[in-house]
Amino acid sequence: MNRIIVDNNLRSWLKELAEKYTLVAPVTSDGVTLFKHVKGSQVDSLDLQYSNTAVSPKGCFFPLSETMFSIGSDGVNVIAPVSTDREVVIFGIHPCDAAGIALIDRVFLAEPTDTHYKEKRDRTILIGLACNAPSPECFCPSVGGGPANPMYLDILLTQTSAGYIVQATTGKGKELTPAARMEEKDIPLPPPPHVTPVPLEGVSEMMRRNFDSPYWDRVADRCLHCNICSYVCPCCYCFDIRDYMGKDKIDRVRSWESCQSAGFTMIAGGHDPRPTKGARLRQRWYHKLLYFPELFGDIKCTGCGRCVRSCPVNIDIREIITDVQKLNV
Amino acid sequence: MIETIRNKAKEWLEKNDGGCVIGYERASDGMTARPVFIYKPYMVGSLIFDETCVHNLSKYLLNRRGLKTAIVVKPCDSRGINLLINEHQLDRESIYVIGVVCPGMKDAHFGRIEDRPLSKCRVCLHHTPAVYDVLVGEPQPETASRDYSDVARIEGISIHERNAFWKEQFERCIRCYGCRQVCAGCYCQECFVDELDPLWVGIRSGPEDNWIWNIGRAFHLSARCIGCGECERVCPVGIPLMLANRKLEKESADLFDFEPGMDAGTAPPFATFLKEETLEKVE
Amino acid sequence: MELTYEPRIVGFLCNWCSYAGADLAGTSRTNYPANIRIIRVPCSGRVDPLFIVKAFQLGADGVLVAGCHPGDCHYSDGNYHTRRRVGLLRPFLDYLGLDKARLRLEWVSASEGKRFSEVVSSFTDTLIKMGPRSS
Ligand code: SF4
Ligand code: SF4
Ligand code: SF4
Ligand code: FES
Repeated sequence: MNRIIVDNNLRSWLKELAEKYTLVAPVTSDGVTLFKHVKGSQVDSLDLQYSNTAVSPKGCFFPLSETMFSIGSDGVNVIAPVSTDREVVIFGIHPCDAAGIALIDRVFLAEPTDTHYKEKRDRTILIGLACNAPSPECFCPSVGGGPANPMYLDILLTQTSAGYIVQATTGKGKELTPAARMEEKDIPLPPPPHVTPVPLEGVSEMMRRNFDSPYWDRVADRCLHCNICSYVCPCCYCFDIRDYMGKDKIDRVRSWESCQSAGFTMIAGGHDPRPTKGARLRQRWYHKLLYFPELFGDIKCTGCGRCVRSCPVNIDIREIITDVQKLNV
Repeated sequence: MIETIRNKAKEWLEKNDGGCVIGYERASDGMTARPVFIYKPYMVGSLIFDETCVHNLSKYLLNRRGLKTAIVVKPCDSRGINLLINEHQLDRESIYVIGVVCPGMKDAHFGRIEDRPLSKCRVCLHHTPAVYDVLVGEPQPETASRDYSDVARIEGISIHERNAFWKEQFERCIRCYGCRQVCAGCYCQECFVDELDPLWVGIRSGPEDNWIWNIGRAFHLSARCIGCGECERVCPVGIPLMLANRKLEKESADLFDFEPGMDAGTAPPFATFLKEETLEKVE
Repeated sequence: MELTYEPRIVGFLCNWCSYAGADLAGTSRTNYPANIRIIRVPCSGRVDPLFIVKAFQLGADGVLVAGCHPGDCHYSDGNYHTRRRVGLLRPFLDYLGLDKARLRLEWVSASEGKRFSEVVSSFTDTLIKMGPRSS
């Protein structure tokens, strides 16, 4: 037996949630799907069949730009950013994107905790939607996920012809499920859609052996170092910090940055430990396929396919993974 | 056509030891194209040319300044070479240009080829490269009439609507600078957006910062943009950047009678002037 | 009661003509509206379009660029270049939704104190009529 919520009830539930919570959901405009704040009145037009958003939802916790604190014009007075205690519900998040958040958690929630991240993370509830339209470039099962994986979500909804099957996995999720709007029905979970696997066996070891391979320079020949791959990725989390002088205060602002951009590792005195295109390109793949697994045990990729789809010159992580296993040491 | 490209590339590589041919090969989706760098004559077999070769490869020449390079270009991309030579960024002697007469590109993205022309191809005027050492294909006549209906549509709405339209577009910019990185005309040692002192824009993102970034980018390319449409193609959040660039293209054609990249000698409008111009004329 | 709206104008004045013209307006006690905040630049040719856009970003209601009359630039050509840049920037800003009337280019010589005052007054009047910027 599964608990089912039909589309009408789902939408009225979402409208109710929009009253009490800040509701964030995938919205398509000008042909681009992005996670955005939605009002109750927009709920009816939400598209629940979407394939992955152009940019991942990591910005809900780790915004593109955020003021960490400000200093008053006296140069002494520290002003904390205005925060709200309104809870946030992210609706319609796919399992791969939830996995991305879980990967960033490992870094930002480890001691010493990133308070800006934690504060947003703590007041957010994730309602997932099992992915029923994986793109050809997706490979989530190869990195421990799956299009219908409820892990890392508070609630997972899976679409069937009779409505959505509701699985609440956490305490927060169970509390939120709308008992009155659901019915028990004898409808099984549908089999998850097929996703083409990528062989990952032993990739970290091969990376370790091939750091100096000329392969990286050759791939980097066509890399534009545009940052697109890192910015759309659900688990890339590099940033840079600048102070912005305002009329009556100075803001310390943190914004996304990427290992792909030329100035990223430039240090005082003008030295750059990653001076070449190849060194920069290599860093992204080493962080994902070797350094992160060494530190945390898992590959830092959720198989969402975004970088594959968005890279203007087709630098394809699946191809990197396959190539590296064939390199001669 | 592709055999000619491969043969020319091979011949050139055989004669130019240590050189590199920049062209197109099949992408990992098995259907579209991607840039390829070929260093050895025996590798030319991977070169392709078809309606999915949307990329403008001329930007890559900046990574190979002073090195012997051969490059496959479409007419729009070839103007990038003229632009860079005109602005003293490239030395004509070190490059060998394999110009291809363009059949028009399809709106091709990773894993998907739409059955419609790429938006820049719909308004393209020149179908034969502006610069080449070897021409592949038969020269084609130019398209005579310009089509700025896209620009006219924006000009036709009220100023408040225009304001709201562009605000909405620029607001979703994630400041990845993909548009800058792909652009042949963007080669400043330090982009105004990366300058720290003064901090004109910096990396902060927000409606106002995005506004100045997007205007700054477009205006730096005014009377320089060659219309290859790459910025708009790569933008991961679909901002219609060509709609801004094309307004500047149209105005600079009207005001200064200039089309960027058509040759490597005509002084660009902002490097010259006419004493007798009146402000009314340029108003 | 209606509040009077005082537009803020950022004025980039070239050192050799327009700034001297503004100075003359001051020393000869010719009134001009206090709405203009003057930034002295070596030549109108120094005005990078980015200065103008930045002034608008920081809230200016209008931007005035003023230099020597054509032919009189201290560096011989600066103002001809400015004329082209501003000439292209105005329709572009207008296209993006910022009325081109908010950006003016004027020639004011060192002896035209009175003309400087007229330029600032008429620009201020125009901006008052237009009201605050919506963007
Ligand atoms: S790999 Fe692709 S998306 Fe990433 S920086 Fe290079 S060109 Fe840009
Ligand atoms: S590396 Fe690419 S496929 Fe992996 S999670 Fe990031 S964007 Fe998705
Ligand atoms: S490519 Fe698009 S998102 Fe990236 S900086 Fe340019 S306009 Fe912004
Ligand atoms: S010095 Fe006055 S405009 Fe050049």
